[in-house]
Amino acid sequence: MKKYILAFLVSTIALTGCDDFLTVVPETQLSSATFFKNQTDFEQAVNAAYVPLRTITNDRSWLLSEMHSDNTYYARNVLFGATDNQEDLADFSVPESNGTTANTHVLNQWRQDYLIISRTNQILSLIDDVDFDAAAKANVKGQALFLRAYAYFELVRYFGSVPLHLTPVATREEAALPLATEAEIYTQIEQDLVAAVPLLPKKANQEPGRATEGAARTLLANVYIHQKKWSAAEQILSPVLTHGYQLMPSYEMAFPGNTSNKNNMESVFEVQFIEGAAGLNGNFIYQFMPRPISAAELQPIMGTSNPQNIDGEGNNIPTPDIIAAYEAGDLRKEASIGNVFLAGSFRDDKNYPYIKKHAKHHSQHNNTGTNWVIYRYAEVLLFMAEALNEQGKPGEAAPYLNDVRERAGLLPTTATSQAEMREAIFKERRVELAFENKRWFDIVRTDRIEEIIVPYGQRIIANPLDYYYPPIAGAVPRSNAFTNIKKFYAYPAAESDLSPYF
Amino acid sequence: MLNNYQLLIKTRFVGFLLALFIVSVSSSFAQSITVKGKVVSEDDNEPVPGALVSVKGTQSGTVTDIDGGFTIQASVGETLVVSFIGFTTNEVVVTQNSTDILVTLKYSTSDLSEVVVVGYGSQIKKELTGAIQSVSEKELKDLPVSSVAQKLQGRLAGVQINQTTGKPGQGMNVRIRGQLSVSGGSSPLYVVDGFPITGDINALNPDEIQEITVLKDAASTSLYGSRAANGVVLITTKKGVAGQTNVNLNVFTGWQTVPENGRLEMLNAEEFAQFKKEYYTDAGQPVPEIFQNPADYRNNDNDWYGAMLETAPVTSYNLTVTSNKEKVNTAVIAGFFDQKGVVRNTDYQRYSLRLNTDYAVSEKVNMGINVAPSYVYDNTPQTDGSRGTGILFNALHTWPVMPIYEENGELTSFNRFPANTGNIFAYPNWLRSADEITNETKVINVLANTYFEWKPIKGLSLKTTFNTELNNSNYFFFNPSTATNQINVAIPTVARSVRDEYQNLSWLNENIATYGNSIGDHNFQMLLGFSNQKFRQDRTRIAADTYADDRLPTIQGAININRGGTISDVNEWALTSIFSRLTYNFKGKYLFTASVRGDGSSRFGEDNRWGIFPSTSLGWVLSDEGFLNTSSTVSFTKLRASYGVTGNNNIGNYTQYALVNNTINAAFGNTVFPGAAVTSLSNRNLGWETTTQFDIGLDLGLWEDRITFVYDYYTKNTTNLLYAVQVPQESGFTNFNDNIGEIKFWGHEFSVTSVNTTGAFRWTTNANISFNRNEVLELADGIDRVYGDYHITKVGEPFGQFYGLKKLGNYANEEDLANSPKVPGRSTVGSIKLADINGDGVITNGGDNDDRTIIGNPFPDFTYGIINNFAYKNWDASITASGSQGNQLYMRHLYSTANLDGVFNMVAKVADRFRSPENPGEGIFGTTVGGGNVTGIERDWANSNFVYDASYFTIRNITVGYTFKNLPKTFKSARIYGSAQNVWVFTDYWGGSNPEVSMQNNGNGDGGNLSPGVDLAGYPVPRTITFGVNVTF
Repeated sequence: MKKYILAFLVSTIALTGCDDFLTVVPETQLSSATFFKNQTDFEQAVNAAYVPLRTITNDRSWLLSEMHSDNTYYARNVLFGATDNQEDLADFSVPESNGTTANTHVLNQWRQDYLIISRTNQILSLIDDVDFDAAAKANVKGQALFLRAYAYFELVRYFGSVPLHLTPVATREEAALPLATEAEIYTQIEQDLVAAVPLLPKKANQEPGRATEGAARTLLANVYIHQKKWSAAEQILSPVLTHGYQLMPSYEMAFPGNTSNKNNMESVFEVQFIEGAAGLNGNFIYQFMPRPISAAELQPIMGTSNPQNIDGEGNNIPTPDIIAAYEAGDLRKEASIGNVFLAGSFRDDKNYPYIKKHAKHHSQHNNTGTNWVIYRYAEVLLFMAEALNEQGKPGEAAPYLNDVRERAGLLPTTATSQAEMREAIFKERRVELAFENKRWFDIVRTDRIEEIIVPYGQRIIANPLDYYYPPIAGAVPRSNAFTNIKKFYAYPAAESDLSPYF
Repeated sequence: MLNNYQLLIKTRFVGFLLALFIVSVSSSFAQSITVKGKVVSEDDNEPVPGALVSVKGTQSGTVTDIDGGFTIQASVGETLVVSFIGFTTNEVVVTQNSTDILVTLKYSTSDLSEVVVVGYGSQIKKELTGAIQSVSEKELKDLPVSSVAQKLQGRLAGVQINQTTGKPGQGMNVRIRGQLSVSGGSSPLYVVDGFPITGDINALNPDEIQEITVLKDAASTSLYGSRAANGVVLITTKKGVAGQTNVNLNVFTGWQTVPENGRLEMLNAEEFAQFKKEYYTDAGQPVPEIFQNPADYRNNDNDWYGAMLETAPVTSYNLTVTSNKEKVNTAVIAGFFDQKGVVRNTDYQRYSLRLNTDYAVSEKVNMGINVAPSYVYDNTPQTDGSRGTGILFNALHTWPVMPIYEENGELTSFNRFPANTGNIFAYPNWLRSADEITNETKVINVLANTYFEWKPIKGLSLKTTFNTELNNSNYFFFNPSTATNQINVAIPTVARSVRDEYQNLSWLNENIATYGNSIGDHNFQMLLGFSNQKFRQDRTRIAADTYADDRLPTIQGAININRGGTISDVNEWALTSIFSRLTYNFKGKYLFTASVRGDGSSRFGEDNRWGIFPSTSLGWVLSDEGFLNTSSTVSFTKLRASYGVTGNNNIGNYTQYALVNNTINAAFGNTVFPGAAVTSLSNRNLGWETTTQFDIGLDLGLWEDRITFVYDYYTKNTTNLLYAVQVPQESGFTNFNDNIGEIKFWGHEFSVTSVNTTGAFRWTTNANISFNRNEVLELADGIDRVYGDYHITKVGEPFGQFYGLKKLGNYANEEDLANSPKVPGRSTVGSIKLADINGDGVITNGGDNDDRTIIGNPFPDFTYGIINNFAYKNWDASITASGSQGNQLYMRHLYSTANLDGVFNMVAKVADRFRSPENPGEGIFGTTVGGGNVTGIERDWANSNFVYDASYFTIRNITVGYTFKNLPKTFKSARIYGSAQNVWVFTDYWGGSNPEVSMQNNGNGDGGNLSPGVDLAGYPVPRTITFGVNVTF
């Protein structure tokens, strides 16, 4: 019998083959073992690092830094619930326990910024080990450094001290890091941007829409200004004045259209969207519409062929405060804010303002290709004015400010002293950069939270009808409105639950 | 139990093979006479075909023919032994006159001598040492259902089978011994004729099945190694009856309906208008004109849900031809099953064919081939799913004041009321959605098994098999511009299509050597095997939209190809195994089995490629011991114990790898640029889930086994659960795939079989009851809980518990509100009052330290089944019932169907909600005043108001049959029967008609392993009444 068993064993082992049989690698997906091998791989990797910016600007930034200020509010729609996450941001009532919050927008902002960081870390840790064209490599590296710095700058302004990840995470243990101090974060941001400036091409030589030397300098200037490092800001920014940027002839034209006028000569850095079914589109202007709005009411604003009714609660509605902030004759008011009549509203006049400057005609409902501007030359000019004024040179600051005013159809500023000039720049920034997610950071860095937000809250509570509440019993600001006015957001609870460090 | 005819063929084919074998090795004796005779049943004098007649002490034997007749050579004085499964063996001494003898056989109540199919072989039931239960084809016939699992409901101790949706051919959830996994699969492994299949068991025509064996404990399953932890279901298909050629035709037809009883009670049009009137009045707002006179709707109700349902026919044809003569044993089964669904426009058809052939080439060589192609066509509307995607749910909550039909009798197309009526969601006509949207799947499945067996010497068998499974599924979805399955989408819509094609190919080669022998009283059998299996799936999905013409839903007819929905994908795995088993017994009294399997799998991490799965079991037949053999009451006693390790390799194919997603595209200017990023972390140590199981059992037979009793206690620990451990997303990743944690399961299973009466009126009862429990002992380091949708899986608690806020009532008045914890800025008088579990004075929802707590348990305290069979003369009847006690359901649909803002239609119970402190209602639903800011708490925050007891007792089936006797010569047998399926459900659950519902793993967004027991008002399970005829020629 032994011989039969032996024959059987031999034939079976022959059939069984070797360990190759068990090595089955994914055929239709790349794995980290096969990626990051050449120039194309790294270019694709840096492209992917831009992607979270779409979500951030389309869905979060305006909630966390514009509606979370006196520029915009929500238009209460009593027929619609599940709105507290947005309302809490506008009402300065983000719930907090043990320094954490369950607010989803705070959470998603955090996660998207760290997604940029992890993708750029992946690039920066591997790119030096792969040989390819030096200019192309410098460009990819510069973009990665710019994006990482941008993400940390958002985080440090929203949260203060945050975990500092600089290398790709490979194990479960490395996933959480201790909080680094605000100073450490700023040091890293500055270091990244200082390194990025020489690596990046000027706008004329860069593919439109990618980070440029000008963008890196402007971002770094913003970082310095946020820290009140005025001379450093002036120094890094002044070369940008010679990069060929110009104000567009009219204020309206400063903002990109659905397909045209993107990355125009005023544009320093903008987040890119494309209309269509490829998933690269935005819809932020839809999120900014008061509701319920009918297809007929929406169509003239959007110019689409298939407008549809939208329900829910409208957000980012210009407040009476920002409407009143424009000087008489300011061309920007008409260009920035429109008016829409909603038949389905419970309000007596059924009229609502909306953000007009971002509303560009496009073809398909709820699908836009309009870019979101992060930095444009008008802000560069205002940064210069501010940096100079804060160094005690209001006279040198005035021309930059006046360039911006002139386009708005306004006379040169009458401010002469440093204090007057400071106030003039602060006001100018509010209207020039209205609805561009700058207001909250301006209030924070000028230490004016108490001065501005507290009375703003009192106005809303006292006059809810002025802030778009319907005249319905019970439709008034919630009892917790304006009870949590703070410089930083609490850490997202879902992240805190998983980290031993906060 | 069984009537006469049933008993005649109540025989395991293995027994016949045995008989045949003995015949083939028989030799003739020279000095003998020719004995002729006939074997009949003692009870009714009916012939017994297929009985084994052998000469005692020799190898000589034969099998009776169709009339019970036999011819055998024997010497005078020798003893003939006549045996047949289901009867007590009889012996007759041969005399000179034994030329035409009549042998009678008595029914046996014991089935201990039956042969049961086990993993890689078969065993005599008496000698089993594992927890194994088998069900024969005879017990499953006549049930007018499409799938095997439906037929098994209520029959098996320790096996919970839930029908989670009434969609034809879908939704059977089978769990052996409460098995669960955090993220892997929990369905048992199905093995058809020795081939572990990768496809859907529902494609198998139940009429092809001869026997089903369920392997429950580790000792029985561990030969299936890394796929065995969820239990194993062995399916054996039909073979011919020895010496016979039979042609059988089985046809039934009937209709299905959804009983009124048990349907979710919704507001009718008048009640809805009344609600809306009160809503506006209570809020101090003007009542919209259309709601000012609710009575206007008295004769103008629109029951949208009811309108979706209809009475639907079901028909089944099966033609079975078997022949087992000479050296060839063939079975051909052709089936056609045609079921319309109780939801409009549901169509389900299965065409199946099976050809099983065995050929005895010589005494030492056997070979065989089974080929089973089938084709399933399924066109079912997208009925199940959450609000907005499942059209039954959508219909359920559509305003009953919205017309279904135009005045001219045509279906309306789109309903939207003015904004001031609170109609924020517009509705298409769901009947049109069902009628006009194509949602069809066509599946071609071909199973083919071949084997070659060589028996070079006595007791040794060398067998090699090659098995293939080809499965091609074609899904086609087309939503024309005239319809939609979503709310709030205006008609015309953008017409869109999806084509999704899967081609699966699996092959398996097994090489098995078995050697069995007896040396004195020592009986042993050894098995050694090697196998290789490989699976490959090719998938192509194309999504397109914006059609110029609804009549041409071709890909080229679309203006857009939807890039995001277009996929091509390959999935593969490979498995190499070596396995061995030793079975030993001494005098059939002391039983021992040990087995081991080693599995190498491509799914396991590079540094952890091989898993070893050993087991051992012992049995002791106490009743064979002299000192216990004196009792006349206890006829059989066996103690069993087993211990073993099994695995679950349902961990995904490429989970170990760090994958790069190269579709994270960027835009620059108006140009798309490809983008790529690493989206997962790699784990080179990733492995299988390990289950270690201990089982102890007692088999008892009383009064000559008229009553048999089986008890099992098991305890098992599942460790190394595959889990995507969440990591902080500051890492850029969402999770790390790891083997973590430990869940302990334990339970008791009892089953009883009793022959209550014998004689003319025969009545037998089978009953079983199972208690399954589990507790999570450990999760990952630093993680003591994992959240599901409205669930928590937490260390120290049972798996998947409902988790949310605990409702105390509604705030009764200002004083109550002032003195109780509340939701800041939201709670008002009459709104939901929740418990302040963390004691911080306010009610919060979210994070680990909020006020949520465990609010319910989706798992039953026990499940049970009871089957009664009756036979009287030509009549037979059976009643099958099963139930579940103590399980709860999360009535998830209430987030819409009890949305107090009146934007949807609502359950009838909202009429009795909180109106004022003087009129607080029955306390289930709170005030409507304050809008979403107030009512949203009750609806959007998971809370105990969603959780209800869903214990049930269901009469699954009642069948009555009549068997004709004294038939013309052309007929061997004929029987007609009537059968009712899902006869009645006894339950207090009010959330819908199916208390077995669960959105678990349905792929519709809700659910997942961590979120069991969620009711989203899916496809109702119909009551089916059928009539059938079963004729054998």
